[in-house]
Amino acid sequence: MNEEQAWVAQAQQGDDEAFAKLVETYQTPVFNLCYRMLGEPELAEDAAQETFLRAYQHLHRYDQKRPFATWLLSIAAHYCIDRLRRRKFSMFSMDAEDDEGNSFEIPDMDAPSPEHEAITGQTNARVHAMLQELDTTDRAAVIMRYWYDYSEKEIAESLNLTVSAVKSRLHRARKELAGVWVEQEDDLLAEMERRHNESPAF
Amino acid sequence: MNHQPFETWLLDDKILTPAEKRELNSHLRECKTCTALAETGLVLRSARVVAPAPGFALRFQHRLEAQKLAERRQKLWGVIVLIVSAISLIGFFIAPYVIAVASAPVEWLTAALGFLLFLFSSVQAFGEVLSVFVRMLPNFLPPYAWMVILSGLAGAGLLWIVSIWRFAHRPQGVLA
Repeated sequence: MNEEQAWVAQAQQGDDEAFAKLVETYQTPVFNLCYRMLGEPELAEDAAQETFLRAYQHLHRYDQKRPFATWLLSIAAHYCIDRLRRRKFSMFSMDAEDDEGNSFEIPDMDAPSPEHEAITGQTNARVHAMLQELDTTDRAAVIMRYWYDYSEKEIAESLNLTVSAVKSRLHRARKELAGVWVEQEDDLLAEMERRHNESPAF
Repeated sequence: MNHQPFETWLLDDKILTPAEKRELNSHLRECKTCTALAETGLVLRSARVVAPAPGFALRFQHRLEAQKLAERRQKLWGVIVLIVSAISLIGFFIAPYVIAVASAPVEWLTAALGFLLFLFSSVQAFGEVLSVFVRMLPNFLPPYAWMVILSGLAGAGLLWIVSIWRFAHRPQGVLA
């Protein structure tokens, strides 16, 4: 039994310190998935917290034969998909309360931090914008494939899909992303041309 | 070669041989669609993993504590509501008897003593019938039937104890 499995076993026996170690270990992958899915750091923070809360609540259902990371990211992906679907029907207002009305602290994302610097990168912003164009389940599949190197089988298990459905979703998503990429390139070229023509030097 | 195989290679992230790489590069020079696919593939693979703001684990601990506290409060209120409802219901049903006892205590005391006497004599009679039955039963049932019955009872008892043990040792956490 490796260290991670030992933490999981201890957490299943009610050891909160062991679960805290799991939170420390997996906070970045879970947050990254939520951020890529939801598009905003505040929503990602809330979703990542909710993911760990759900994992804590359902830890007795976790099967040790399955990698813990896969199980955890599967919870995160399903939560984000549900949240995006609900957001389609109602405008989501982000205040300092969760669904149950409990208050929690929202980190100051405007403060300078490595994360803030990372999300302000131009390419990162383009990737981010492209991802938001995708269907929610396709987006989850793409994130698992390209950020976490999940195989099609692992994605299928995490998202409750067949392997062939995952393959077709990934193909469709990649084509859509390529389409958006071309549009962005065209817009950038048009913008550069417009600036060039407006320049007083010409 | 036409466009389709190159698109499939790119979509499947196929590991290419040097010859296939050369073919793909030459195709990319003339196909805008495949160029976009190749570029997005590279961009996706090189995209950074974003970390949460510092103190995430601590914020989670606070949230977990708040959640546990809310559930404990919810349980407590549930118990209070249940007890108050039960007391109200019992009060509603026994109120007429209490009023009657308070208005004529001697008659009620006589009736209660008569009922207790009846209950005692009934239990005694039932015990006598049961002892006669137990004395007669061994003559009707062979020894192996007794073994089967006793084994069945022992099995049911064991199952009951195991169920209680498993329920008691289930991992405890906040409510699902």
